[in-house]
Amino acid sequence: MDDLFVKPGNQERGWNDPPQFSYGLQVAGSTRSPLTKRGPPPPAAGLQAPPPCGDPSPDQQATSPHLHGITPPPHKMTTPTHRITPPPSGVTPPLSQATSSPCGSRLPPPPKGPDSKAPCGPRAEPDPQPEPDLQAVSSVLAEALEACRQNVSRQVCEDIAKRLRLLEDSWTSGRLSSTVKRRMNALTLEMKSSHWSAADDIHRSLMVDHVTEVSQWMVGIKRLIAETRNLSPELLAFSPADPVQPEPVGN
Amino acid sequence: MATFPEFISQNEERDGVRFSWNVWPSSRLEATRMVVPLAALLTPLRERPDLPPIQYEPVLCSRATCRAVLNPLCQVDYRAKLWACNFCYQRNQFPPTYTGISEVNQPAELLPQFSTIEYVVQRGPQMPLIFLYVVDTCMEDEDLQALKESLQMSLSLLPPTALVGLITFGRMVQVHELGCEGISKSYVFRGTKDLSAKQLQEMLGLTKPSAAQGARGQQAPQPPLSNRFLQPVQKIDMNLTDLLGELQRDPWPVTQGKRPLRSLGVAMSIAVGLLECTFPNTGARIMTFIGGPATQGPGMVVGDELKTPIRSWHDIEKDNAKYMKKSTKHYEALASRASANGHIMDIYACALDQTGLLEMKCCPNHTGGYMVMADSFNTSLFKQTFQRVFAKDEQGTFKMAFAATLEIKEIGTGGTCQWKMCGLDPSTTLALYLEVVNQHNAPIPQGGRGALQFVTQYQHSSGQRRIRVTTTARNWADAQTQIQSIAASFDQEAAAILMARLAVQRAESEEGPDVLRWLDRQLIRLCQKFGDYHKDDPNSFRFSETFSLYPQFMFHLRRSPFLQVFNNSPDESSYYRHQFVRHDLTQALIMVQPVLYAYSFNGPPEPVLLDSSSILPDRILLMDTFFQILIYHGEMVAQWRKAGYQEMTEYENFRHLLQAPVDDAQELLHTRFPMPRYIDTEHGGSQARFLLSKVNPSQTHNNMYNWGQESGAPILTDDVSLQVFMDHLKKLAVSSAA
Repeated sequence: MDDLFVKPGNQERGWNDPPQFSYGLQVAGSTRSPLTKRGPPPPAAGLQAPPPCGDPSPDQQATSPHLHGITPPPHKMTTPTHRITPPPSGVTPPLSQATSSPCGSRLPPPPKGPDSKAPCGPRAEPDPQPEPDLQAVSSVLAEALEACRQNVSRQVCEDIAKRLRLLEDSWTSGRLSSTVKRRMNALTLEMKSSHWSAADDIHRSLMVDHVTEVSQWMVGIKRLIAETRNLSPELLAFSPADPVQPEPVGN
Repeated sequence: MATFPEFISQNEERDGVRFSWNVWPSSRLEATRMVVPLAALLTPLRERPDLPPIQYEPVLCSRATCRAVLNPLCQVDYRAKLWACNFCYQRNQFPPTYTGISEVNQPAELLPQFSTIEYVVQRGPQMPLIFLYVVDTCMEDEDLQALKESLQMSLSLLPPTALVGLITFGRMVQVHELGCEGISKSYVFRGTKDLSAKQLQEMLGLTKPSAAQGARGQQAPQPPLSNRFLQPVQKIDMNLTDLLGELQRDPWPVTQGKRPLRSLGVAMSIAVGLLECTFPNTGARIMTFIGGPATQGPGMVVGDELKTPIRSWHDIEKDNAKYMKKSTKHYEALASRASANGHIMDIYACALDQTGLLEMKCCPNHTGGYMVMADSFNTSLFKQTFQRVFAKDEQGTFKMAFAATLEIKEIGTGGTCQWKMCGLDPSTTLALYLEVVNQHNAPIPQGGRGALQFVTQYQHSSGQRRIRVTTTARNWADAQTQIQSIAASFDQEAAAILMARLAVQRAESEEGPDVLRWLDRQLIRLCQKFGDYHKDDPNSFRFSETFSLYPQFMFHLRRSPFLQVFNNSPDESSYYRHQFVRHDLTQALIMVQPVLYAYSFNGPPEPVLLDSSSILPDRILLMDTFFQILIYHGEMVAQWRKAGYQEMTEYENFRHLLQAPVDDAQELLHTRFPMPRYIDTEHGGSQARFLLSKVNPSQTHNNMYNWGQESGAPILTDDVSLQVFMDHLKKLAVSSAA
């Protein structure tokens, strides 16, 4: 679930900056119908003939304002008091502005939920699995590069090699987050299985979600995937034995 | 028999068309008396995932002045293999490939459910998409870094065969050569002097495509598939990533009290010229990233002294905007050249102060490009909006379309009209104002129905050329005897937006108050024509259901930032108007009259009136203005939240209540382009002003104690409320003195 998250916007640089969706969430799309309904039309000044039927918006007359001669009991706006009446929960004393019947019954303690201030999707929980091994990742990439050397120009291979070295540097010096490491592991697993589109997709999601960490070298990975997928299969043979336990991919 | 609302909705679903009137007045004179003109909102490339593209060429009418496409309204003689064009009545022979058709074996284009149909045509070479980045380097390092990363990221989103190029600018303008191994080369131009396309061609050493082929006598001159400045992504992505990574802030020092010298005008001119020379008449996107206003050279919008601010509306009204006319002309010329070549110009302006969108708006407006306005490149608003430019449809191709032309065919004149739209996406919506030419008292045309055909030819992002054809018809009626049928066919939502677009267009050239007067005048006339009333008796006024929402829309339109420039800079007004005239009806309506949803313990979330009475202490409101998604917590809810009740287990329902609007907001944020601002506020919060300024102020400080309003927060404003507006409207409509 590393690839499905929402993080808050940059409030320091952008006034009311919206939250940022991960690539995985954006691509997944939304299935709910958009909120475009309006409240009931105002009975504004008897403009209409008797109440419309077939009106597209749900007929919630409870919310229409009272106008024109109907004088409900005057109701002063109360100023905030020190003693705040708690929200309805089914076990509290009655509210001073009792309008609702408590609809929450006593529930077993909920799991600790996300902060309600920012919209949050499922967060990446602290992962109990061990961090992927750099060796496993770079060996796959190195093998792929070797296989390409026959058909691809020297310059391009050197460029890719340079970036693989950058990747290794970043990894070993701790500049990469564990999410990126895990996703890279997943990417190389896809490459091993010749699932080029899936690998490409992972590279794209890493570029979109973690561009600051990966931008220096990810384009090399991208090129490597593009070149190896064009190779004939016999040129590309990854070493079979693989010490890293397979991680569930693409959840 | 479907009701009109159902009919309207089905037609919109299928054809992407909505008319102001669905029964058409049959004479020119009567049409003008309808007040709201006969007009259509057309979304040419409306998303139709259920519509498979047809893999053959459309069948056209053989009459040279007609050339309408075979459609479900045509009469067909299956035995003789003939069809009659419904626009010019010409009888046409079916092509040989259609010999097998019969009543039980009809081709798709004759079936009524294919009133909208899309053809894939196989003419000509498939041209790659072209993206030319024009990048401002006069900005803070943090911003430049974020921009660089976004551009690097975009290389992963572009198709491998797309061509990409880079121009950077600050005081000077640099055109970068791509693909040179080991070294980076660029051509540097002074930012003070404009260049013609020819001069640019010489200086960059570019040969014109046709010159290279001329001697060989080839039939179709193949344009060079790339040149030193525009290369395929798959070839230069690594080099370009490095090049972008190495970009530095503009090195020219900026002294205290001065703005950086930014040669935006020349940079854009060079971009337009480069594509003009190398890839005329093929789909391309010039994407300009701006960190501030142009301060040097042609197209400058403000001087470099900080003490002289950029023009405000006040300056413009007083004719005190020194650079405006000249720079607007500069950008209009660029827009003209770009659109003549089918090239799109996007502007991504991220700065805290104005950047000159007012002067540059013709570039995105005339070419179908995007205008994005944000505070900084290091914001999620810019980053995500930019990502969404490259959004893909279910087939994995970009939603954006290029180099489109729209033709409209109609009965009677047999002629057609053609428009060019360089950039299109599935939500782009055009407003077409139609003129009825039939003379007064002339009989209704044969068949009793008027038909229109919209033919949109475009370059799909996969490289294919496609043609989308929509054919639709409506009944004519004699307005003198059948006014009721015409009135019953009124689409008030479409009419409101069509009138609003006219108003926005007027606002570009007329004084604000004059536009409002015009709008009010039209509304009063509409009430007079279609309302039921006794003269001089305002209380007798009634509007039927099909018109009942229209005055409300007009009320909100009058207060909207599209017509009210107060409290907005000229750039902001230009931005809002740009968005308003390109989006489809549903989005445009949200912009005019924002949607308000209420969340409370009293029941499920419900839409509520955009009214101050909807603001209650024990509920949460979600307002969508299109440009902002705002969540407002009522006074009591805010206090509960502050006290932390949501953290307590026995108040989990409260936590759910707080989360519900957040989840719904997320749905809206998920798909909207451009990304809106996201505001979380509460009673008494400063950001609540966005809600308070939008709601109908039915309760103000003036009338707070007049009658016992049960609920709602009084708004401190002298603005007229909807109720007062309606009262005045009715008085004027029924007045015999009008």
